[in-house]
Amino acid sequence: MTTPRYCDGLTRRDVLRAGMIGATGLTLGGYMQLEARGAIDAAASGKRAIFVNLTGGPSHQDMFDLKPDAPAEFRGEFNPIKTNVPGVEICEHLPKLAQCADKYAILRGVSHSIAAHPLGQKYLNTGNRPLPSLEYPCYGSVVSKELAGEPNLPSFVAVPNTPHAAGFLGVRYNPLQTNGTPKPGQPFSVRGITMAGGLTIDDVQRRQRLLGDLDQTFAGYEKTSDLVDGLDQFSRRAYDMLTSRQAREAFDVSREPKQLADAFGDSAFGQSCLLASRLVQSGVRFVTVTFGGWDTHNANFTKLKDKNLPEFDAGLAGLFGSLSAKGLLDSTVVFVTGEFGRTPKVNARGGRDHWARAMFCLLGGGGLKTGQVVGASDERAAMPADDAIAPEQVAATFYHALGIDFHKEYHTSSGRPITLVRDGSVIPALVS
Amino acid sequence: MPLVAVKRSIARRFLAPLCIAAATLSAFALGTHVMHAAAEPVAGPVADESAATDRVDAEPAAAPLAAIHTRFAADTDEVPDFQRHVSPLLGRLGCNGRACHGSFQGQGGFRLSLFGYDLKSDHAALTEKDTDRVLADEPKDSLILRKPTLQEDHEGDERFKADSWAYRTIHRWIAAGAKETPEDGPRLVRLAISPSEINFTKNDESVALTAVAEWSDGSREDVTPLCRFRTNDESVATVDEDGRVESKSPGNTHIVAFYDNGVTPVQIIRPVSDLVGPNYPGVATPTKIDELVVAKLRKLGIVPSDLATDAEFLRRLSLDMTGSLPTPAEVEEFLADKSAGKREKKIESLLASSAYATWWATKLCDMTGNNPRRAAEQQLGDQQSRQWYDWIHRRVRENVAYDEIVEGIALATSRAPGQSYEEYCAEMSSYYHPDKPADFSQRDSMPYFWSRARDGAKAKEKALSFSYAFLGVRLQCAECHKHPFDQWTKDDFDQFTAFFEPVTYGNSPDSRKEYQEMLKKITGDVKGGQAQRKLADAVKRGDTVPWREVFVTAAGRGNDNAKGKNNKNKNKKKGPSRRVVTPKLLGEEQGVDLVRNEDPRAALMEWMREQDNPYFAKAFVNRVWASYFNVGIIEPPDDLNLANPPSNEPLLDYLTQGFIASGYDMKWVHREIANSRTYQLSFKINETNRLDERNFSHAVLRRLPAEVAYDAVTQATASDTELVTYRENYERRAIGPASSGQRRGQSNFALQVFGKPDRLTNCDCERSAEPSLLQALFLRNDQDVLRMIDRPDGWIRQVSAELGQPERGNRTNIADAKGNNDRRAAARNVEDFRQLRREIAALEARAARLTKSGDKVQAQRIRRRVEKMKEEARTAARKTQAKPVAANDKDVAVKKDGAAKKSDKSGSDKSDIAKQPDVAAMIRSAYLRTLSRPPTAEEHERIRAHLAATGQVPGLRDLIWALLNSKEFIINH
Repeated sequence: MTTPRYCDGLTRRDVLRAGMIGATGLTLGGYMQLEARGAIDAAASGKRAIFVNLTGGPSHQDMFDLKPDAPAEFRGEFNPIKTNVPGVEICEHLPKLAQCADKYAILRGVSHSIAAHPLGQKYLNTGNRPLPSLEYPCYGSVVSKELAGEPNLPSFVAVPNTPHAAGFLGVRYNPLQTNGTPKPGQPFSVRGITMAGGLTIDDVQRRQRLLGDLDQTFAGYEKTSDLVDGLDQFSRRAYDMLTSRQAREAFDVSREPKQLADAFGDSAFGQSCLLASRLVQSGVRFVTVTFGGWDTHNANFTKLKDKNLPEFDAGLAGLFGSLSAKGLLDSTVVFVTGEFGRTPKVNARGGRDHWARAMFCLLGGGGLKTGQVVGASDERAAMPADDAIAPEQVAATFYHALGIDFHKEYHTSSGRPITLVRDGSVIPALVS
Repeated sequence: MPLVAVKRSIARRFLAPLCIAAATLSAFALGTHVMHAAAEPVAGPVADESAATDRVDAEPAAAPLAAIHTRFAADTDEVPDFQRHVSPLLGRLGCNGRACHGSFQGQGGFRLSLFGYDLKSDHAALTEKDTDRVLADEPKDSLILRKPTLQEDHEGDERFKADSWAYRTIHRWIAAGAKETPEDGPRLVRLAISPSEINFTKNDESVALTAVAEWSDGSREDVTPLCRFRTNDESVATVDEDGRVESKSPGNTHIVAFYDNGVTPVQIIRPVSDLVGPNYPGVATPTKIDELVVAKLRKLGIVPSDLATDAEFLRRLSLDMTGSLPTPAEVEEFLADKSAGKREKKIESLLASSAYATWWATKLCDMTGNNPRRAAEQQLGDQQSRQWYDWIHRRVRENVAYDEIVEGIALATSRAPGQSYEEYCAEMSSYYHPDKPADFSQRDSMPYFWSRARDGAKAKEKALSFSYAFLGVRLQCAECHKHPFDQWTKDDFDQFTAFFEPVTYGNSPDSRKEYQEMLKKITGDVKGGQAQRKLADAVKRGDTVPWREVFVTAAGRGNDNAKGKNNKNKNKKKGPSRRVVTPKLLGEEQGVDLVRNEDPRAALMEWMREQDNPYFAKAFVNRVWASYFNVGIIEPPDDLNLANPPSNEPLLDYLTQGFIASGYDMKWVHREIANSRTYQLSFKINETNRLDERNFSHAVLRRLPAEVAYDAVTQATASDTELVTYRENYERRAIGPASSGQRRGQSNFALQVFGKPDRLTNCDCERSAEPSLLQALFLRNDQDVLRMIDRPDGWIRQVSAELGQPERGNRTNIADAKGNNDRRAAARNVEDFRQLRREIAALEARAARLTKSGDKVQAQRIRRRVEKMKEEARTAARKTQAKPVAANDKDVAVKKDGAAKKSDKSGSDKSDIAKQPDVAAMIRSAYLRTLSRPPTAEEHERIRAHLAATGQVPGLRDLIWALLNSKEFIINH
């Protein structure tokens, strides 16, 4: 009998089997088998990722793609400053990021055509142009499906939350949402993980014992029912997570060395980045940090200068610094993006409106070639200057850095084959 | 999604990879190791011809034309036909597969339509000039002969040899001019496969299938070598490219043959035990459903499980039919009832309950895609979604016939016949009146299905959601290419889409002016978002505002539209357009003349109501069945396609015809199913049925749906008083309107975690029933659940008060207590009385501070609360005084040891004799309210031991927590 092969070299049988492993929770053994078969590229240096989602559409020409020589109504109020990478300049209100520009690559001239928030968000959070008939999984769900996490920790955490989820991959790959951000020097509680209502670990252990004593009706059925088996597995993992020191400490930002912690700043975003760095250090595979307030239709420059940019600067620079200091930067891919950029021309209210034809993304860490600018926009930051970079390419490069084949094919529950990133390709300048 | 991993079968025999993993198509499968072959010697496989002979015409048909591989075994003068021979051959060879030339980018510059059947474009691609693909002058130099024979490099490897019949067929076709088949040529009428059912008995037995194509000109041909064959479960039986079927293990599946647009399945059965024929034990079949189910099981040697216990039955029925747990009192009463017809009686009473309508309205909202975010009027999405729910709910409650409900949606326009635009606007606005909104559910029609925004406004999307909702047919594939498993072609899809093109949401031509005038009065000169907000404000004030509307434009070219009701000027609307004027209904040959049919949807509805419509009634009964049995008779339930045959066709036919005969009485279906012994079977499996997932031989374990799970937690932790009212409390239930519009924040998180469908993608699979880590964390440690357990009007508060051990500290706050019962009970304790007074003092001090700082509103609020508490304190004081002093002292003495657990323990020890009956009843209640059964003696003992160690109230709290986290709670069994 012949076994048909896909272009990626996997046989259909392999693909189905991989799907089934996913469906019952990928064990480390299973993961290693996949790795051995080449489904996951173990040589990729990215093992985990932090995704910074700047919702609202950050103004590319006021942050990483300044046009000081453009006419006044386009150039805006900010001036460029030099960075620690010769020839690369960014906004004057991002001084800390200017000092660590070697740690990330700036992608300019990223371009698409969906200038509406929800759909643009979906596009940039999945790497696929949204379709009405399908909910694509967001990056974090894919990564937590493809890369086995620590048993005592959630694979995918959203700080404080994200509307993007696992889509057709199924609810088990949804993120754990913290529903809050840490405050400097205060205990941080996380929904579902922090003991609530005065509960202690003793209480949980005592209750779990009682549960074990009583929950016998389906004993033996784990062999014939995937549901019973799944409930048992998740029950054990939840218990481990609640009672393990690892999980508690992962969320406890007060344990971070003060020197490192201070660099992040006191803002919600800064503290979220601090938490993200702790989480990936503890073994969480994917952290989404959501930072809103970029939809600057009015008073763009005041908002950016007084609030967004200083917080963003301290938080993200703190993140790069902390990952680097802990030796985690090479194995952690950092991806920063909004859903689109903003109009080249400043409007009558001192703001800029939605503009998807040109935007920026940052990619850092994970063994990518950083300390460079890739792509370019035209003289008014309105269109890509040369070849546009598509969101699909950014997504494919991101997955590639994590050792995940973006050609990989999933099947929806209706059997429809879906390529992980349709029309994707790796950006050559970013990989060695 | 199904709870259990569905074995995915694959078409391994085809050289070309099929586009789609045939997920979830399989019938149930058994591992090869399960059963031994029948004890007595069985003489070869039994090919059941009976089903085939049924369908053969009475007149003896001439023998079909011999198969092409014999006709082209040597050189011949016969000219092959493009449609009948060449195109299917290319399909069979895999040329038009997704990884090959069927790819949308083509392969090597050569593209065929995916899975074939776009004969015109395929012919054009093959004969494209200057490509050398087809060279009529020198056929052997044609690339389509040189490449597949590897005379020239071919990435797709060798497909056939130069001396093969395949080669000669293509060669001959080219030599004869590579002609296209005329478009009005004969159509395929039937693809007959014999045998039509195969009964195997042991491994490696094999049977060869023969495929005969019958064309509309009466010609017949053996097309076995031109068919593609696929097994729906290769662990049960495999099939090779020539149609030879081989038995691999006991079980049941289908082999599917594909040729032209014909798709014919063949059932494969191999018994899993020797309990077949005369050996099959006597099994009760009290209802028609049972007869039909057991008839199939008998062939398979599967013995159904025993009947479920009364408690299991009640819990399962209550969850499936009403989305609710039974109340403890209901369980007790049902268990105590010794009358014979009690199950039937219970079915009737639940069908009459309000929870039935609440839950099934939600299911119909799932089907019809009721999502507030897709409402055309963005600002009013929540209200419109709620109206949508209410409209359906009223009809489910009144048990309006299913076809009438669907008609009210399918044929809906915004304006009733004869209604003026002004009247319409007044009517619509009245539904939003701030004080006394009119009842939307009284409207005759529900137009929101047609007014969905964004993609929902496109005719294609309407066709997709319509066929999904009311026909259970997934047309998505055919939007771009031939459906890989079904008969649908892209043309079929376009034809069907034409029915929806005239349906528009917007300003109808006759009301545009009025609309603009009304709008201007309200919004003045502002535009865009500001105008939207002004409009929304006006609606909220109760003003009459202009509304857009669902209307139907002129259907065709004609001008005979004089009798138009709402659309007098419809001819002006962009003229005749490129519409298909006589679109075809799915699977029908005759087009519908849209010129004469004003609203093409009427023809559609008429067709759906035909007795022999293959989808409408069937899709509904199959979905209802699926929600009682976890899998449909056709599975997935929203995927009625020819290659996905029902696991039990007579059963599905019986229910479908019965449903139609009942006048589309939905309760008939529920009643028929719930009263069957098949539904009432236990989940406990035996050796013969343990792996059965598709033949209904036992109850299948499945997780509670999201809304049901959330409500079950709420109900299980409610006080006795609240619990009684909660079940039928329409407004509060997550299974009801709370999940359709006007969504409240609190339950949303939980519902998302447990997989409530978004109602966005036209798929039943949106509702997830799989378990996850977040669900486990949610039930164990989420603030929502922990708060529910300890809520002021909850059960733990109630029992702690009854035990005279009210909780203090941060877990519970007496000042927050709402239920009067609880409060009075709590105040029985002197300590708490004092506590109450301390709190009153503290609150009074706070109110004074607030008054000083100027926050009078807040101060006033607190004072009102204080007044209530004082009243409560007075009541408590009277009660305390009325109590015998001794008892009082004892209580106080017990409590004085403080809140430490040890004192609880000593307290319970001391009062063990007095309290024992209460505690036993409480343990029993905990079980009844979560697992809907009393605890076993052993469980009871374990719990007593636990309570002895922890103290009563902490122990009972542990108990309710443990029960909520047990598999038995979250599994419907």
